[in-house]
Amino acid sequence: MTRVDEAVEVSIGVTGEPIGFTWQGVHYSVNAKPLRWFARREWWVEAARVQRGIGAGVIEIEMWRVCACVGNGPTGIFELIYAAETACWKLVRYYLAAAA
Amino acid sequence: MFTHLHVASAYSAHYGVTRPEYLVEAAMSQGASALAITDRGGLYGAVRHIGACMQVGLSAIVGVELEVDGGHVVVLSHGGNGGLGWKSLCRLVSAYQKGKWSLVGLRDCTVLLGADLPFAQAAMRGERASAISLLRSLNEQLAGVSVAVEVVSHLTEPGTLYSSVHAKRLVELADAVGLPAVLTNAVRYLTPDDALTADVLDSARFLLPLGEFGLQPNAQAWLKSSALMEALAVEICGDSGRAKRLLDATTLLASRCVLSPVSDCGWGKPKTPEKALLGITGDPFAVLQEKVSAGLEWRYPGISGRKLLDVRHRLNKEMMTIHQLGFSTYFLTVADVAQMIRDMKIRIAARGSGAGSLVNYLLGISGVDPIEHDLLFERFLSTERSSLPDIDIDVESARRHDIYRAIFKRYGSSRVTLLSMQNTYRARGAVRDSGLALGFEDSEIDELAKNIWRFSAGSFRAATSMKPELASVAAALASDRKMNLLVDITERLNRLPRHISMHPCGVILGDASLLDLTPVEPSGLGLPMSQFDKDDMDPMGFLKLDVLGVRMQSAMAYAVRELDRVSGVSLDLDAVPLDDPATFRDIRTTNTLGIFQIESPGQRELTGKHQPTAFNDLTIQISLFRPGPMKGNMIAPYLDGRHGFAKPKYLHPDLEPILRETFGVVIFHEHVLRIFNKLTGCTLARADEMRRSLEDPRQKSVIEEFFRTKALANGYSASVVSAVWATLEGFSSFGFCKAHGAAFAMPTYQSAWLKTHYPVEFMAGLFTHDPGMYPRRLLLAEARRLGVAILPLDVNKSLDEYRVEKTPSGKAVRLALTELAGITSAEISRIIAGAPYSSIGDFYLRAQPSRKTFEHLALVGALDGLASITSTRGDIVAEVKQFNGIKKRSRETSQPMLDFAEFGAMPKGNAEMPKAERIQTELRLLKLDVSGHVLELYQPMLDAMGVVTASELVGLRSKTEVLVAGVRVATQTPPMRSGKRVVFISLDDGTGCSDATFFEEAQARCSSVLFNTRLVLIAGKTRRTGVRGVSIEASNAWDLKELWAQWQKEQRQSA
Repeated sequence: MTRVDEAVEVSIGVTGEPIGFTWQGVHYSVNAKPLRWFARREWWVEAARVQRGIGAGVIEIEMWRVCACVGNGPTGIFELIYAAETACWKLVRYYLAAAA
Repeated sequence: MFTHLHVASAYSAHYGVTRPEYLVEAAMSQGASALAITDRGGLYGAVRHIGACMQVGLSAIVGVELEVDGGHVVVLSHGGNGGLGWKSLCRLVSAYQKGKWSLVGLRDCTVLLGADLPFAQAAMRGERASAISLLRSLNEQLAGVSVAVEVVSHLTEPGTLYSSVHAKRLVELADAVGLPAVLTNAVRYLTPDDALTADVLDSARFLLPLGEFGLQPNAQAWLKSSALMEALAVEICGDSGRAKRLLDATTLLASRCVLSPVSDCGWGKPKTPEKALLGITGDPFAVLQEKVSAGLEWRYPGISGRKLLDVRHRLNKEMMTIHQLGFSTYFLTVADVAQMIRDMKIRIAARGSGAGSLVNYLLGISGVDPIEHDLLFERFLSTERSSLPDIDIDVESARRHDIYRAIFKRYGSSRVTLLSMQNTYRARGAVRDSGLALGFEDSEIDELAKNIWRFSAGSFRAATSMKPELASVAAALASDRKMNLLVDITERLNRLPRHISMHPCGVILGDASLLDLTPVEPSGLGLPMSQFDKDDMDPMGFLKLDVLGVRMQSAMAYAVRELDRVSGVSLDLDAVPLDDPATFRDIRTTNTLGIFQIESPGQRELTGKHQPTAFNDLTIQISLFRPGPMKGNMIAPYLDGRHGFAKPKYLHPDLEPILRETFGVVIFHEHVLRIFNKLTGCTLARADEMRRSLEDPRQKSVIEEFFRTKALANGYSASVVSAVWATLEGFSSFGFCKAHGAAFAMPTYQSAWLKTHYPVEFMAGLFTHDPGMYPRRLLLAEARRLGVAILPLDVNKSLDEYRVEKTPSGKAVRLALTELAGITSAEISRIIAGAPYSSIGDFYLRAQPSRKTFEHLALVGALDGLASITSTRGDIVAEVKQFNGIKKRSRETSQPMLDFAEFGAMPKGNAEMPKAERIQTELRLLKLDVSGHVLELYQPMLDAMGVVTASELVGLRSKTEVLVAGVRVATQTPPMRSGKRVVFISLDDGTGCSDATFFEEAQARCSSVLFNTRLVLIAGKTRRTGVRGVSIEASNAWDLKELWAQWQKEQRQSA
């Protein structure tokens, strides 16, 4: 597993799921059904304000686990997060199978 | 349409976030047809939920979430079965609360097996075989019980609890075992935003800061829409066919659980004990009629002519209403309880609007004659409302729990429960729990909580910029992130239910089915308590009896008993004439300390201005002295009218008969009713409905329309109609029920009567039951002023109460042992049991006091009677020290005292304790200056300075410059119309009370002594507040002890 923390550009399919993303100028295509979940954030450590109505963004974050590859290259597993308040995607982790 | 079957409301304390009403509203706007409430451990929010559902036309489902070994289950009541499911659920919850419960054999309910149970945990870990066998054995245990597997996905990380992967495994598991699977969202809040509040509640539940316990995985436990839940089903099952079956099973179960509020829960149907229990056979109305007829003879002996007609007319009207509403049994029940209390020889008085009913008066429930005091029945009960009326009764506080137990005994524990109440987050509690969540230091939170006064947690941020005491918080908000979070989450907690507790005075009385209709849990008193609160009573048709303990009733009962015991005078306090001139003369002196309701400095000042001469005056005065009338500036016009300074304004001659008693000022609800009735011609019952609606802005315009149209049609001019409407409108927030005022005026009058005629017994009652706002020290000062002698502590005569004793010069009050600092109740019992004692040695042996108590008793003179006449206090203390020097005390009480004989021969001649030292010792050990007033210690200086006594003030001209001194007995900072702070300080100097007012300028001059100094010297000008009232407009104040030190120094220097 490799940790990264970089903005990526993500293209979304009709069902709202990522179908591909561009990382460091290289385009990756998603080649299996992505998995989505919501992870916690430690708002009491991170947030500046938490008044009523601030929204769930301070407490949880949308995570996607996608299998993707470059052209006909080997498939890797990538974890993307989507921050609703900024409408930005980030790549946070990836796993590349040693021999694919 | 999807139905949520697992929803915790805010009444799941420290768990749920949203009030039932909001959940229902949201479900409705999402297009749902039904909604469940499943609070944790109880049906706390169920009645509100059902009520809210009925209001919007949603089908209500009720269940409960229970903790079982290793996880949770939800139990849902089946509906439409004549209450079988509801009964089963109530009984299950009551058993759960007792800790003796089981789901085995549960009928008419469905159990949802939670996704955190051991079988589901096994499924999560992928141990399919073990999961199946665990679920099978669970299902076998619950053979015959309707069971389903609860499927939940909170979209957590794949492979963890509440993930879609986990949910899918649960669906497969249910299929494998052959159980239905149903989808829920295990809801605990309305919107994702509320999840943050849930984090804070979790912290409060675990008593740990955030980050130190297992948090909810994310913010998905909200009330999702049907569309989202349907999509979730597809995501879980991965196959639309299976998803549809999951949703269908959920809908099917929901439809099975829809409750019919009336036939399942007994909604709105009044429930009273069975007739036989009340000793009734036949028609309750006929029995009621017999009882009121008997009451007529009792309350109005020898009545005839016009008066009899009035009473009969009124009685017929009330009886018709009661008959029409079918409330005969209700009245008979309350009368039965009232009779039971009276048979227990406990004082009882009605409070509130119930005092407006002649039937209540005739049945002995109330002691106020509604005809004589001109009170209206319609304010209490009318055919316009079909809910059971509230009858509140006041009893002796010291006997309240005896009464509860007697009620349980009389009606049986299956028909009686205590009432509970929901305590909600207020500002301080919210700050404390928020501080805990964020990991603030205890000391920081203490500091902050100390400065939180009189604002709601919901407006914390706004308050920081307005309240000077929160200036440091306001400053911190500019830069301190944590402080911002604290304020934000404090605001979120505002008004959320925190915990349930026993209602201070409520008892529910029902029939044998009561425990089928309400779940109960243990209370602090050991008696079962309903999980429903006072707002739930009316919808559920429960008869709630408010039995409130009033210390003044205990004090008066004590006085009456002492009068009988010591002097053999048998007094019926409820029968004393209400027009005793001596009583009113004493009230008018403003020496009202100890008198119910009118002893505060403000009431004393008003008494001086008002000069009451009749019972109705007391009713008015009590009703006037409240924030509403004070803010509305209603007192001045009333007093002006009363003293003839201004001609009363009646707006229209027709209002004169209604408002004559208050010189044109609208004070009572009864006034409003009569004005509506007079000007529009509507019935009094209808008028009361309109009065109630005045507070609702939406309904007010409808009423205004009605009022104006009708009054104009009845020939009143447009200007009169407008002026009267303006009065009624402005009144709505101030009003007071006259019946309530009159009910309160009764103990006010009775206590004043006792104080006037039997001051010794009355003071003994006050000392023993301490009903008022002042410390005992001040009661002592009042006793001194009245010439009631207070006898010192004496181990041979003092008890655990203040007894009245005959003395050569009359009667006196003996100090109680309970006053001594550090004495234990066990010591008190031993002392009382062993009395009388023949000597100090005898006392030492048999009463077995601790060394400290023994010495304290000697110091305050409680052993004087055991020593020889020639012994000084110093000799006695020396002897006690000898005993205390003995290392091991003999436990053999029969042991002869030979060992101690030598002590008797101890040399005498220790110095007598000087008076000043005695007073100081008494203050230290008894908090009472028994042998003299504490101010005597400073007398030389006070004389030199020309300090005036409180009793001399009344003889001074207005605007005389004076100095007064004394012990601070009360400090008040009431809210003022101008918004400026005014401080009232009352000082006691042994001759009475002097009241001083500090305006802003004076406050600035002496701010350091204003709030914390005990002995104070005040300079100011006298200001007459009425015929007998004088107060001081203060210009400055000093700490008397500091002045004394200075003065003594000067004396020494000049000597």
